[in-house]
Amino acid sequence: MLAAATLPSVAGGCDRDDAPAGRVVIPFWFTYGGRNRATLEKLVTRFNLGQHDVWVRAVFQGDYFEGLAKLRTALAAGAAPPLSHVVGEVVPYLAEAGVLEPLDAYPEAHQLGLLPSLDQSGSFRGGAERPLVALPFNRSTPIAYVNAALFGDREPPRSWEALGDVARELTVTGRFGFGCPIDWWYWAALVGQAGGQVVEQDGRVSLGGNAGVAAIAFWQSLVRSGVMKRPPGRDYNAWEQLSQDFLAARVAMIWSSTAFVRYLEETADFPVRALPLPHGVRGSVPTGGTHFVLLKSAPRELKLAAWRFVRFLLEAESAAFWSRETGYLPVTSAAAERLASSGFYASHPNHRVALDQLSVAEPWPWSTRLFRIQREVVQPRLEAAVLENRNPAEVLAEARAAAEERDP
Amino acid sequence: MKPSRPAEPFWLLLPMLTSLGLFFLYPLVSAFKTSFYDWDLLTAPRFVGWANYRAIFASGELLGSLGTTLAISSLVVVGSLVLGLALALAVHRPGRLAAFARSAVFSAYVVSWVAVGLLFLWIFDADAGVANRALAGLGLPSLPWLTSTRLAPVTVALIVIWKVTGYAMVVFLSGLSALPPEIAEAAALDGAGPWARLRHVTLPLLRPTAAFIATTSLIASFQLFDVVRLLTQGGPVRSTTVLVYAIYEQLFRDLRVGRASALVVVFFVVLSSLSWLKLRAFRAEEAP
Repeated sequence: MLAAATLPSVAGGCDRDDAPAGRVVIPFWFTYGGRNRATLEKLVTRFNLGQHDVWVRAVFQGDYFEGLAKLRTALAAGAAPPLSHVVGEVVPYLAEAGVLEPLDAYPEAHQLGLLPSLDQSGSFRGGAERPLVALPFNRSTPIAYVNAALFGDREPPRSWEALGDVARELTVTGRFGFGCPIDWWYWAALVGQAGGQVVEQDGRVSLGGNAGVAAIAFWQSLVRSGVMKRPPGRDYNAWEQLSQDFLAARVAMIWSSTAFVRYLEETADFPVRALPLPHGVRGSVPTGGTHFVLLKSAPRELKLAAWRFVRFLLEAESAAFWSRETGYLPVTSAAAERLASSGFYASHPNHRVALDQLSVAEPWPWSTRLFRIQREVVQPRLEAAVLENRNPAEVLAEARAAAEERDP
Repeated sequence: MKPSRPAEPFWLLLPMLTSLGLFFLYPLVSAFKTSFYDWDLLTAPRFVGWANYRAIFASGELLGSLGTTLAISSLVVVGSLVLGLALALAVHRPGRLAAFARSAVFSAYVVSWVAVGLLFLWIFDADAGVANRALAGLGLPSLPWLTSTRLAPVTVALIVIWKVTGYAMVVFLSGLSALPPEIAEAAALDGAGPWARLRHVTLPLLRPTAAFIATTSLIASFQLFDVVRLLTQGGPVRSTTVLVYAIYEQLFRDLRVGRASALVVVFFVVLSSLSWLKLRAFRAEEAP
């Protein structure tokens, strides 16, 4: 972490004063920490040294939600950067607020070779009918990580029942068999696996109906039986806590993002194996991570310069490098092919798990309310339902009512 | 007598008044105005009257966070008063050891809240934390310091008490130093023992000091944010969502500037009331 923090000055990629004269300097707000941050900064340096017109000044802005808060504040203050990246759930909201730059007219905007499940049209139901405003880069799905030394030669759990059985087998005094943040993203995965959708095709916020209830009940049963660790803290604090528990062998199997493949592999003192999530009545995973956005308010010159940087990041070499060094999905077909043909997936099968899971990836609805539903309505209630063992049907009925509440 | 340069005091006050106006009055007036609007910072604000106030009442956000704040603050006030007084009485004596103890206890007060938060995150970790390891060493069951809705607010209060007790001790020490020694000597001559002198002489004379500490601790704990942000993020299940953290959530998590502003206005009214009570208490003490 310290190394990552000091890298910008060493790499010379993140300081305004380092920009050679005559370059267009573009501030780029990013929200990756640790190893992923260091990898991005290498790409920034590579871009800055690889041409003579543009200088990217990458500025770390905390986690996704902290970065989003700062971006909104900067937009209100008229000081937004030309380029940033935001979580998928907030893209429709920002797009409808009119702060995102439509990218359709930018050079080759529709010839980037993005993987269909990860671009705007595949990530959002109805995304294809809207102006192009978001481009994927660090995209992910949830996957399972197991401590292979403890997991042994067991079969990967293919169903919820099998997951519970394995968790029970791996639970001993001082160690939980399974751990998962009580978080919207994983709940959405369970809802899909139970056959439901958070928002129906007609836009109704069903929160999965019975599937939503089953998802909460599944977590409750695992927590109640003492085989699942519910990490303390909220949002990414809980994710980080769970990673630490996994690395310290206090939890044998966790659900987390594919973004941590490389980090967990290199940090753990035991072999780490990645597995796809189990199926319920069907296979289903949400996609996660963020999309690049250009901010409409920035001067045209900066937006064009930012577009050059985005194009660079989406080149096969850059996208493959990013995926290889982090664990995020390769967002273009060319990058995925490059990794496959170079034998990378054969030697690093953990990196391949999320890519294979894209076959059951569920798009998010293009809904301006999605972000509020996530942050205000569902997330706080999930925690209450699991921790206080509340009736899941009542919790979700309450959440549905709250989701339907309109602003005054 | 008529002052020769009547405008001079106002010129001298101008820098402070400007600073107060710019960084205190203007934001407050602005928050009051914004509290009547529905605004997400991105789209145009929309006037909604008292709807934001109704919403924070109806959702339980205001009463819940106010209740949590009051509960934590009460523990902090009582804890810092008792511990601060006990420590002040223990170290109110000459000698190097007492001086060292005074410095050691006060040092916690000058540590940044972020450092304190990170330190206690490590201490109260459910599995690897020092606190639970110590309990295990004593053969006691581990405690869900930060993961139980009942215990988490107490844990937060304990951390604040640890942080502010040094300040309470120093103020009590200054109060003890200011007590006229002849009163205690007279009581001793009348046959009062150490406990009787403490109970009937020292403590009554320290009442203004205690009132000062109580009100400053109360106001300080009302402003609690950093530790909550680092340790619990308001959870589990909103059990540590104090008022300032609720404002932060409304503004930065939920994109609701209007509701956050309504909470700010209520927060201002509550703090003003507390300050008024403090002033009233002091004036009552000073009255003949």
